[in-house]
Amino acid sequence: MTLNTSEPIAVESPPEAADGPDADKVAPRRLGISFWTAIGWILLVSAAALVAPWLPIADPEEIGAGGRLDGPGWDNWFGTDSNGRDMFSRTIWGARVSLMVGLVSILVGFLIGGVVGVVSGYRRGFIDRTLSFIVFVILSFPSLVLFLLIISIVGQGLWVVSLTLSVLVVPSVARLGRAITIAFSEREFVAAARLLGATNRRVMVREILPNVLIPMSVILLLGLGITIVAEGGLAYLGLSVADGFSWGKMIQIGAAPRTLRTAPWAAFFPIGAMFLTVLSLNWVGDRLRQYFDIREQGIGSR
Amino acid sequence: MAGTLLSVQDLKVGFRTEQGVVRAVDGVSFDLEAGQTIGIVGESGSGKTVTAKALMNLLPSYAHVEGTVIFGDRDVFAMAANREKHFWGVEMTMVFQDPMTSLNPVKKVGEQIAESLRVHLKKSRREAFAEAGDLLEQVGIPEPGKRLTQYPHELSGGLRQRVVIAMALACGPRLLIADEPTTALDVTVQKHILDLLDDLRRDRGMAMILITHDLGVVKGRADEIMVMYAGHTMEEAPTATLFSEMRHPYTEALLETIPKIDTPSHTRLVPIPGRPPEVIEIPDGCPFAPRCRYSTARCLTDRPGLTSHGSGHACACHAPVGTPSGSEARAANESAGTTAAGLDMAQFTRKVPVIDFAPPGAEG
Amino acid sequence: MFAVVFAATFLAYSAMNVLGDPLFNVVGFYASVDCDAVLAGEVEDVIGTRPGSTVGECQIVAEAREKYHLNDPLPVRYGRWVGAMAQGDFGESFKNYMPVSTILSERLPKSLLLMGMSVSIGLGVAIPWAVAAAYRANGRLDKASTTGAFGLLSIPGFALGVILFYFFVIRYQIFPSRFVDDDLFSRLRSLFLAALTLGLPLAAIYQRLLRTDLITTLQEDFVITAKAKGLSDRRIMFRHVLRPSLFGTVTVVGLNTAALFSGSIIIEQIFSIPGIGRELYVSVVRDDNPVVLACVVVIVAAFVIINSVVDLLYSYLDPRVRRDT
Repeated sequence: MTLNTSEPIAVESPPEAADGPDADKVAPRRLGISFWTAIGWILLVSAAALVAPWLPIADPEEIGAGGRLDGPGWDNWFGTDSNGRDMFSRTIWGARVSLMVGLVSILVGFLIGGVVGVVSGYRRGFIDRTLSFIVFVILSFPSLVLFLLIISIVGQGLWVVSLTLSVLVVPSVARLGRAITIAFSEREFVAAARLLGATNRRVMVREILPNVLIPMSVILLLGLGITIVAEGGLAYLGLSVADGFSWGKMIQIGAAPRTLRTAPWAAFFPIGAMFLTVLSLNWVGDRLRQYFDIREQGIGSR
Repeated sequence: MAGTLLSVQDLKVGFRTEQGVVRAVDGVSFDLEAGQTIGIVGESGSGKTVTAKALMNLLPSYAHVEGTVIFGDRDVFAMAANREKHFWGVEMTMVFQDPMTSLNPVKKVGEQIAESLRVHLKKSRREAFAEAGDLLEQVGIPEPGKRLTQYPHELSGGLRQRVVIAMALACGPRLLIADEPTTALDVTVQKHILDLLDDLRRDRGMAMILITHDLGVVKGRADEIMVMYAGHTMEEAPTATLFSEMRHPYTEALLETIPKIDTPSHTRLVPIPGRPPEVIEIPDGCPFAPRCRYSTARCLTDRPGLTSHGSGHACACHAPVGTPSGSEARAANESAGTTAAGLDMAQFTRKVPVIDFAPPGAEG
Repeated sequence: MFAVVFAATFLAYSAMNVLGDPLFNVVGFYASVDCDAVLAGEVEDVIGTRPGSTVGECQIVAEAREKYHLNDPLPVRYGRWVGAMAQGDFGESFKNYMPVSTILSERLPKSLLLMGMSVSIGLGVAIPWAVAAAYRANGRLDKASTTGAFGLLSIPGFALGVILFYFFVIRYQIFPSRFVDDDLFSRLRSLFLAALTLGLPLAAIYQRLLRTDLITTLQEDFVITAKAKGLSDRRIMFRHVLRPSLFGTVTVVGLNTAALFSGSIIIEQIFSIPGIGRELYVSVVRDDNPVVLACVVVIVAAFVIINSVVDLLYSYLDPRVRRDT
């Protein structure tokens, strides 16, 4: 006769970081089919966005490609918006802006945050405290307010928006970079390198960086999801890149009360596209994090 | 048998793991009379704690349990299956090894004791707290009123263990299981706690299962002793008999590991050579054979069953100590230089150390 | 702590006044005209202005400069602004000359109510959810909730808002489409969907964190002691395991407050709620500096206050910390 005491099964589970989706407890050895599906979707969207000008789809700006606010059908797979423009093609073209802005933002943020974090973690002391304080100030600023301020003052070009959005990611990247750098600078191979006469900078570049890059790649993926959403929010408020339209802008157009009432698909398709893309990015980033966590024991963001 | 409080019959506990089924407990049986103490002795991995947890319904869901346990006139495993709510913690309770982690750090001491009283005996908050204070006094904690509102981290290890004991006694159990209750404590405190348990047991007419790896602990305090190894019972006997007429080589080896008061200082202690087997790899035959100086070829292939060596004295061995077959086996091994399992007999001789640190003229 | 407030507000103040021109709203185009030169008689006509009016307009500009003390150096202006704020004077809106404090006192309570509701929904959903998932870790419910939480986290807040708005306001008309201020109940009702939009993703975040912490706590020895006492699983989960596990979640609640304000800006737009978020957005677009700055102060102050409360909560939850405070 078996006893069923319903005690939860004991499993090793390190406490999770407060940012980003959390890892599952027992990391699977393989990455799983959902992982590859997510990768597939990301590649699909990226590819479509990249080759959009050469795809045999309708002109996204062409007014009257279908009737006004037609539902999805054979002529217009995703229907049309309030100006009669084909939604399917617009969704693909919208991907271009959404992805581009997101990508540039994350890369800039990664760069800045990485430098700040590694320097902060390696040098410690006054520099560290100052940088940490600045990061904390940025964290306490509601990000959207900052964006509103900067964009309304400086303008709505692609680079401005991207640079502004990068601020979103810098604190997380810096914090992580700092923690990992600190963890590593205690390790033997750094001491060994220093003994051999390497300068501070040399040590940072050749010994610490390679081991820092893996967790940072995970942040890159997860952060991309965040910036895409943030850009979407800005676009919804009409504050994103002025020419061209992203998914967020499409949602803004589609969510106008009258449009929403009669033709909800005008908003729902871009929402769906954004949701699936962000979901895939989060999924891939999270799975990767689990996969590498098992190997790199002890490297966490704490 | 009238008066038998607890009857364990052929208890087996297995755990499903990726590598197969681990038999942590493989056929353990014993009886316990009301008011008696039985000591379960063994190294870590012997299955003694798992046995206790099986009785207390504390095993995880991937454990597979067989056998029968009768408490009074109730079937314990049937109660577990029926999710009986007021048995464990009431009639049968347990005290654990590490008092530093056994208590909830964010709850006051008084609350933790009073909880059993309120949940099981439905006492009011005030009553329960008052009784908790009494209990603290009974376990010998000074200033019990003050302690009630303190948190565990404000008490020393010894005091915490007393609190744990008070918690276990709250509802007046008939059986207390103490799993290595003093292992994590200072030596000076150990005796106090053990004495305390003795006194309480006697005052309340409570039965006790005392689990330990140290034969010295149970020597004066248990009525009966059961020696376990790798999930099996090796020997079982009333205490006096066990010490004077031990039969099992493992028991003999355990006894030899206890330093005696008249051993010259600086004498190297003799541990039992080898390690307990990995629970997955338990070989055929007697599990102790690889480390046993009495082992014969038969020991490696045939698992010995429990045979009787007098009233209440059972032993599972093919070549028991103090028997003709045992002495023969040992002599054969000694002349061959190795045991049947290939163990070098030289490891068993007590060595006197080469270096003497005592300065000339001082006592050795 | 105050250093943070000062730093943040100084940042905002400088940004507004240095990168943009505060005078633009007041005097329009002429803010960009080099009025000093005009008034000094060096320049007669400026391109784009009506002939003959330039001098007059420039005089207005000079007066405005005096009135708003814009000729003083930046740190002085900042100091003056802080001083005024300390006395409760937040200045007047550039646009409609209403005292900012009035605007704030009208709008702030609604936003606070919204945020309170959101966090309540978030915690109210997350706690039972996390307990259920941790109780049978890796069981069916747990695995399903991981996926569910993931989905909730991935959907952009405003998208969720639009979806909820569509289904519950337009399609099925269960909730009002704009804020109704009659009594507490109608206010709660108006805010409910918005609170849900903000609260559900919060619940997902809280749940994942809490679940992990619960599982970690479940490995502790005192849980076995509790089981040995014969306590029911429910009692153990809620009365013994939950409290020590809440630390991480409480910290996140504090840190998320800033994010909540961000989110509320968009959400208040979607659901037409006259709160501080919406006011902030509108004012930034209009370059209504005093209002923007006042909102920034309030928001940053709220963040600092909430984090202090979080610290206090720590000592309540963990008596080991209490010793040092």
